[in-house]
Amino acid sequence: MALNASRDDLAAGAIFVAFGSFFALEAMKYEFGTPFRMGPGFMPILLGGILVALGIAVAAKGFGKPETGSGPAWPWRGIVLVLGTILFFAATIRGLGFVPVVLTTALVTALSSRRNSWLAALVIALGLTMLCYLIFVVGLGMIVPLFGPWLSF
Amino acid sequence: MNTFVRTFAAALVAASALSGISAMAQDYPNQPITIVVPFSAGGPTDTVTRLVAAAMSEDLGQQVVVQNVGGAGGTLGAGQVAAANADGYTLLLHHIGMSTAPALYASLPFDPMTDFAPIGLVTEVPMTVVARRDFEPATLEDLIAHIKENGENITYANAGIGAASQLCGLLIMDALDTKMTEVPYQGTGPAMTDLLGGQIDMMCDQTTNTTSQIQAGEIKAYAVTTPERIAVLPDLPTLAEGGLDNFNLAIWHGLYAPAGTDPAIVARLQTALQAALANETVGNSFAELGTYPVPADQATPEALAETLEGQIALWKEVISAAGVSAQ
Amino acid sequence: MDLVSSLALGFSVALDPVNILYCFIGVLLGTLVGVLPGIGPTATIAMLLPITFTLGPATALIMLAGIYYGAQYGGSTTAILINLPGESSSAVTAIDGYQMARQGRAGQALATAAIGSFFAGSVATLLLAFFAPPLARAALNFGAPEYFSLIVLGLLVSIALAHGSILKALAMIVLGLLLGMVGQDIYTGTPRFTFGVRELFGGLNFVAVAVGVFGIAEILRNLENETEREVGVKKVTNLWLTREDFGRIWAPILRGTGLGSVLGILPGGGHILSSFASYSAEKRLSKNPQEFGKGAIEGVAGPESANNAAAQTSFIPLMTLGIPAHPVMALMVGAFILQGITPGPNVINEQPALFWGIIASMWIGNLLLIILNLPLIGLWVKMLSIPYRVLFPAIVLFACIGTYSINQNIYDVYAIAFFAMVGYLLIRFGCEPAPLLLGFVLGPLLEEHLRRAMIISRGDPMIFVTRPISATLLLLALAAVLVAVLPAIRRKRQEVFVEDD
Repeated sequence: MALNASRDDLAAGAIFVAFGSFFALEAMKYEFGTPFRMGPGFMPILLGGILVALGIAVAAKGFGKPETGSGPAWPWRGIVLVLGTILFFAATIRGLGFVPVVLTTALVTALSSRRNSWLAALVIALGLTMLCYLIFVVGLGMIVPLFGPWLSF
Repeated sequence: MNTFVRTFAAALVAASALSGISAMAQDYPNQPITIVVPFSAGGPTDTVTRLVAAAMSEDLGQQVVVQNVGGAGGTLGAGQVAAANADGYTLLLHHIGMSTAPALYASLPFDPMTDFAPIGLVTEVPMTVVARRDFEPATLEDLIAHIKENGENITYANAGIGAASQLCGLLIMDALDTKMTEVPYQGTGPAMTDLLGGQIDMMCDQTTNTTSQIQAGEIKAYAVTTPERIAVLPDLPTLAEGGLDNFNLAIWHGLYAPAGTDPAIVARLQTALQAALANETVGNSFAELGTYPVPADQATPEALAETLEGQIALWKEVISAAGVSAQ
Repeated sequence: MDLVSSLALGFSVALDPVNILYCFIGVLLGTLVGVLPGIGPTATIAMLLPITFTLGPATALIMLAGIYYGAQYGGSTTAILINLPGESSSAVTAIDGYQMARQGRAGQALATAAIGSFFAGSVATLLLAFFAPPLARAALNFGAPEYFSLIVLGLLVSIALAHGSILKALAMIVLGLLLGMVGQDIYTGTPRFTFGVRELFGGLNFVAVAVGVFGIAEILRNLENETEREVGVKKVTNLWLTREDFGRIWAPILRGTGLGSVLGILPGGGHILSSFASYSAEKRLSKNPQEFGKGAIEGVAGPESANNAAAQTSFIPLMTLGIPAHPVMALMVGAFILQGITPGPNVINEQPALFWGIIASMWIGNLLLIILNLPLIGLWVKMLSIPYRVLFPAIVLFACIGTYSINQNIYDVYAIAFFAMVGYLLIRFGCEPAPLLLGFVLGPLLEEHLRRAMIISRGDPMIFVTRPISATLLLLALAAVLVAVLPAIRRKRQEVFVEDD
């Protein structure tokens, strides 16, 4: 794109404006209050407004700067697999239990690196599951079923 | 160390969950029992629970583990137990908040009356009306006159919406038909800090938190909220003596199982609770906290159910009259 | 009772072999749980409370206190090695400590942290012994207006945390402040930004946010250019500090100790500010501020000392007045009560052996910690030779399990993924995570104290300038802003803030 601006600054500015407006707009639903008794909406509206202003300023400053290039490649595989497994962990830890969830999480995360082969990932996953079991369940007495209710028939 | 015992126990839990064998009432308990405290560790309710849990495990011959599931004014932990398996291995120790929740929260994920099988009352912690050291009124009579005269010019600290400290204030303001300026805090700990520093005027809190400060003369005490005077602070009059008729507020604690728990298991737990409350160490530790275990005839499902029902009705009235809501 | 005989009494308790043993167990456990993200001192002390039933009061409390300050030592280790801070103070250590590790100076960073912590811990313990009661009294003069002004000062000074654009740093602070407001409003009970999720009523979990924007976001960054090179850290050549390193760290350690000791005494959240404040101070005072954020050893020495000094002096309000400064101290109150002692102003007179024994044990505990930690440095650094492709799945797992284990709350784990994504994007676009975390921990305090001050003053904002301590703090804040915008300094700044790549 022949845009004479720093893409990074524009993008950062946009994120700030998005967050700022989300908080400010959502906070409009809450009572604003008076200076004596500030309501729950007071600070978020104020700070949300400030964040929107700062976001615009960040973006505006980017216009003077030369285009910096697109930066390193996006690690799509890593983003999807790493974040995906964290979500998987959260969604299933109560249902499937410690062992299956930790094993799967470790396996898939290991695969998000292009440097790990299937076999290497499997070895890493088994080793880590053992280690996590020893540290958290044996060592720290974490209260969690090893195999959760979804697996009992 | 102990963790190993617990680990082994946890492995057993897992193994039995895996094989799907549900515990039979006759060999109950054959695995560790978890008591959920719906507040963070270290608070008064947590302390009470840990004392009782240790004594109950002696009677039951099984480990009784305390688990803190804090948040949302105690409703998170209570909701979790309401949804737990009714096998007697997940219990709840909750305080007066169990009876105020229905009035405070519009959408509660559980019903205190129908989602639990009550086991028994545990203790009733009295509260004290206290003020900063240089607060002018000298006696309870002076204080009442002072509140009536100055109303909103008095700052009254509490631990937020629905906290016992707020309920106490509501009852006092209701009885005196006046309003004070409420100043909410994260808990009564920070509120006590500001009271010690003279930043605010008044507070009402459990003896657990106030007794040592009162005895050291760091804060002024005016009254206790129970119908009778209490042993640790015998010189302190009751609010009823000061003319607030029938004033009765104590932070009662109860032990619950999820609804549908086998009556035989509930009976076994009741026995264990009564044994724990008769335990000398528990009694002494409770005394140190400014409270006492309830008598055995109160540590019963019937007594707890009755208390709960009465209190829910009471708080519904007080809380809606004051226009307080948590959401 | 005079101080010498008091201390003698204290040491006679603390040097009892059984107490030394439990002190050692405490600091060892503390170090270990401090190293793991998530499982912090709060969870550990809570789990061990029932065990301490069987011990005597002094022994039990010596061990529990050891867990607390031991965890402060351990917390910096993961922050330095794998950029995974478990609490707000180690988030600051991660800024420069992790960069040092990437340059092959992990040993020096860990050694600096250990030495700084030891020195600060020892000095702060002395302070506790000499001045605890008067200091606690003085701290009570801090009410809501004073805390509000202190936090404003802290926020304005902390812009120095950034080594890139000031504007972005400010935006990150404000974003952090807003994120800190998620959850139930304590004044009205209104749930804010919770999407109706009850688990969010208590707010976002700090560990989840920190692990997301620091640890996991860093992993995503490392996966960016994985095809080109093996990421991770350079080969470690030397573990110990050089004479030059010593020359650079002694002054930051002294200043950090002073700053941390003072802030730790304030029960309303002073300890949270200590490491951030020290970092800002060091960057301001440094002749080479451009090195900060790229592996400046001063950026580890100052905050680590400040943090440990504050950890130690935060016992002052608890032991002299019976008021807990933070959740760990609240747990200590519980421990006292379980032992049949109600913490309060009378402990020092009624239980002198216990009071002075705990203080003396803290000094011994700090000594044990440095003896324990210096040899461990070699071991920790060896862990860095594990290939990154093995290490990062471990980091992800530790982050998930550790965070989940705090409250058994799965929304905390979801939050990790969310903040990892947000953090990764913002870092990629030239923002830095540390100011966001500062805003996040201070946001709720800022709002709470502002609103409380206004209620107490019945809506009169003059309360902030008519109270002398508050007015002084605000003047200092004004001075900090003026210094930042003075043109001469600004020119120097522009040289400083050239983006690094």
